[in-house]
Amino acid sequence: MVRYLITRLGQALIVVVLVTVIAFLILHLLPGGAARATLGKEATLEQLAAFNHEMGYDRPWIQQYGMYVQRLLHGDLGYSYQLNQSVVEAISQRLPKTMVLSLLSTLLAIVLAIPLGVIQAVRRNRWPDYTITSLSLLAYATPIFFMGLMMIILFSQIWPILPPEAPQGFTVAEVLADPAGLVLPTVTLAIVTIAVYSRYVRSAMVDNLNENYVRTARSKGLSERRVVLRHTLRNGLFPVITLLGMYLPALFSGALVVESLFNFPGMGQLFWQAALKRDFPILLGVTVIISIATVVGALIADLLYAAVDPRVRLRGSAS
Amino acid sequence: MSESTDPTVRHSSTAGQPAAAQPLLELRDLDTDIALRRGTVHALDGVNLEVMPGETLGVVGESGSGKTMTALSIMGLLPPGGRVSGGQILFEGRDLRSLPADEVRRIRGVRMGMVFQDPLTSLNPTMRIGVQVAEPLRVHERVGRAEARERAIEILRRVGMPRPDRIVDNYPHELSGGMRQRVAIAMALVCSPRLLIADEPTTALDVTTQRQILELIDDLREEFGMAVILVTHDLGVIAGRADRVAVMYAGRVVETAATEQLFRSPRHRYTEALMEALPESAIRESGEHSRLYSIPGLPPDLSRPMAGCRFAPRCRHVTDECRTTDVALSIGEHRHACLHPVPAAPATLPPRVRVEPAPEPADSTAGADQPAATPVLSVQALVKNYAAHGRGLLRRSAGQVSAVAGVSFEVGPGETFGLVGESGCGKSTVGRLAVGLERPTAGQILLDGTDIASLTGRERRRMHRQVQLMFQDSYAAMNPRMRVDAILAEPLEIQKVGDGAARRARIATLLDQVGLSRRVLERYPHEFSGGQLQRIGLARSLALQPRLIVGDEPVSALDVSIQAQVLNLMRDLQRELGLAYVFISHDLSVVDYMADRIGVMYLGKLVEVGPARDVVRAARHPYTQALIDAVPSITPNAATARDGVTIRGELPSALNPPTGCRFRTRCPLAQEICATEPPLAGNGHQVACHFPLRPESSKASARAGAAA
Repeated sequence: MVRYLITRLGQALIVVVLVTVIAFLILHLLPGGAARATLGKEATLEQLAAFNHEMGYDRPWIQQYGMYVQRLLHGDLGYSYQLNQSVVEAISQRLPKTMVLSLLSTLLAIVLAIPLGVIQAVRRNRWPDYTITSLSLLAYATPIFFMGLMMIILFSQIWPILPPEAPQGFTVAEVLADPAGLVLPTVTLAIVTIAVYSRYVRSAMVDNLNENYVRTARSKGLSERRVVLRHTLRNGLFPVITLLGMYLPALFSGALVVESLFNFPGMGQLFWQAALKRDFPILLGVTVIISIATVVGALIADLLYAAVDPRVRLRGSAS
Repeated sequence: MSESTDPTVRHSSTAGQPAAAQPLLELRDLDTDIALRRGTVHALDGVNLEVMPGETLGVVGESGSGKTMTALSIMGLLPPGGRVSGGQILFEGRDLRSLPADEVRRIRGVRMGMVFQDPLTSLNPTMRIGVQVAEPLRVHERVGRAEARERAIEILRRVGMPRPDRIVDNYPHELSGGMRQRVAIAMALVCSPRLLIADEPTTALDVTTQRQILELIDDLREEFGMAVILVTHDLGVIAGRADRVAVMYAGRVVETAATEQLFRSPRHRYTEALMEALPESAIRESGEHSRLYSIPGLPPDLSRPMAGCRFAPRCRHVTDECRTTDVALSIGEHRHACLHPVPAAPATLPPRVRVEPAPEPADSTAGADQPAATPVLSVQALVKNYAAHGRGLLRRSAGQVSAVAGVSFEVGPGETFGLVGESGCGKSTVGRLAVGLERPTAGQILLDGTDIASLTGRERRRMHRQVQLMFQDSYAAMNPRMRVDAILAEPLEIQKVGDGAARRARIATLLDQVGLSRRVLERYPHEFSGGQLQRIGLARSLALQPRLIVGDEPVSALDVSIQAQVLNLMRDLQRELGLAYVFISHDLSVVDYMADRIGVMYLGKLVEVGPARDVVRAARHPYTQALIDAVPSITPNAATARDGVTIRGELPSALNPPTGCRFRTRCPLAQEICATEPPLAGNGHQVACHFPLRPESSKASARAGAAA
């Protein structure tokens, strides 16, 4: 198990390094460059050259990358001149708020999607299944900005019970102090996730309910409830673990559309604005954070798998 | 249907059984329907059965006969769309159909138990053994956690599980198939049921394991005083174990009698035909192999309405009356539903074996007669090792699996060489090596005297035309999106044989050879039955006019009547085309019927090679004898008449095979010298054993002497 962990970590590290290389190359070798973006259209060539020299942007790019990695290892993701704050500072202001939104919506999605998927599987090809299937396909096919707009129109215009804007607080505590404002963004974000998760749970449950071991369980005279909850559910939830692992990066990156729509000051908004302004240090910093989150997410999913599925567990410890 | 009004059907316990004994289970006119998209299948039609307390009832039939549906109807475990649509299921005098669902569920959990076919999938993979075994106790008897665990250990001990106190905490994937089936039996017995239903409990297991499991069920039946319904396709399994037998065909019981009576004197024409289709019926004491009787055609489609006897379209003795008259089971001890039954045999007659004369009696010795000819296939000291990886993402090398360890044999022109052994013995690997699908780690493969390792790519490919493979599951071995014409033309195209017209002509010839009409060419693999697929597979193997066909379990997935058709076809083609076969099978009786010579493999090594008759009737290696003893036979009392070698325990891992004789860890005769490797010794009938059971028969060595 320890060996397995070390190998998996090694693989993860390689991926992260590759991501930083690619991100670095894309962002630094593009025409236009950071100097022009920072100093503006009025800047003279001399000023640009001076800026580039000061930042080290005139050195060979391999050297530049080396410097970048060195800074990275010291927890220094660079400095954003546009925001006039360090990248780490900018991210640490936004990240907790994004995570509040993402975690809430993920929790909501899981809590609703699992029962929905189970109901569909148990009542397969009957009206509950058809109804939920239609609704989830509808939710899945609706563009999220449209969904968000409809939510705003419905719940803060036609029937004004909720504010159309997310809480604007500076800290997590301030954001949480305004729960009503969180409802619409959370629900909007959760709806699509529910649609996806419930489909996965449904098909995994349908597969498992057709397995021979379920027939064995029924032959023991167990109630249908026990057959589903004790025997099938655990095996039917494996795909959700993979999904959760894949969802971890979204926890960090935030939901670009939803954050813009509800004017939520999170990571998505940060990234969006940085992209518009060619704020390279921010873009690079966010990319690295998200790539690490992606890799860690996959790692956590694998380990969770090993924790819940004894067959995987054995393989891990055998090696 | 119409029988419900027939008084003979309403026959109850008074006629046959002592009046005091009330049946534990009685099925009365049971109808079961299964709604599918393409229509409703009437899986059971007026089934009548009785099970007395403490007896074993064997229910036997081919696929689609309704034997499993009967079991599932009793247990209330019908698949989606299935429902019991008529009749009664009387268990301990109460009709399960009229009881409330909760009550039935309790009866199912406490008073009945069921064991299913596939032990690998019938246990929950993520639940500990102990929890699964004790679950009925926890649910139905409200037993506490600690006590449930104790009782799980206790019942596991009673089903012969080694170290049950450790096994309780294991997960299913950590156990072998035989062990998992013991767990399934333990689970079914944990509440001490009155009735155990075992649905093909040993079909997925090797014969030596099968024997252990069947004996276990027998012992437990006495110990628990319960009744057993043993559902199987294997007449041999029934013959050795059941008190009474019910033969099913197309959703009906066609014959029922005491086991000994049924096997000595079957009355229904279907039962008779089924027994004649068994390979063991066609092997005479003299060793001559006569042609198997094969039941023509296929079982009827149960979604269509039917009149008359359902076996009529396939019956040799059919009359017009059979096609129109519905026949009910007759009255008495030995009941049958046949208008023209086989005359009852007097009780003194020996087991009836009625076989058709062989068309050409000399064919079975064809290989042995021409020993001078160059062997079609000769493998010498063949070795195949697989690198074993730790599974999962790490793939760390964990040593080598010794799949084949120094196997040598020859196959002469027109000869059939049978390769027998249990799963994991390496017989399929030998087959794949022989046809060049894999490369050996060491050793030589000679085709027609040419070492294929010495050939270049193109020459080797041409050479491999001569050797073709036939698979167990032909459906899986065909591209489902290719029509039969494309499937048959493909080998010709790959080897660039002839032009389009020549290929079409060749395909037409192939279809004639395997007995299929031209119409199959435009159809896809999923449209065919198992027997037809095997014919198509055989046609594909024959396309390039090979001299040798390696058949890897070619009939193992087929019903007895279809198996007979394919075996006959293979023998006919052998005679017409002078083919040689390597016939790989776990089924000794089929190999015995097909092969001129037999090689027995155990854990990667040939332990015995010799003429089929000598190997099967005068085995020299203890493992061969154990294998023979484990094969269930329809000859009554055959099991008790044998001076058996019984092996216990589990097959050792090929990752670290025992040194010396690989069988010594399970051999009852093993001594110290067995730690050294025994050579394969003998003339015609070779054995690799330090303590062979018997000396080589004079006939075998004489034959070998004459050959030399």
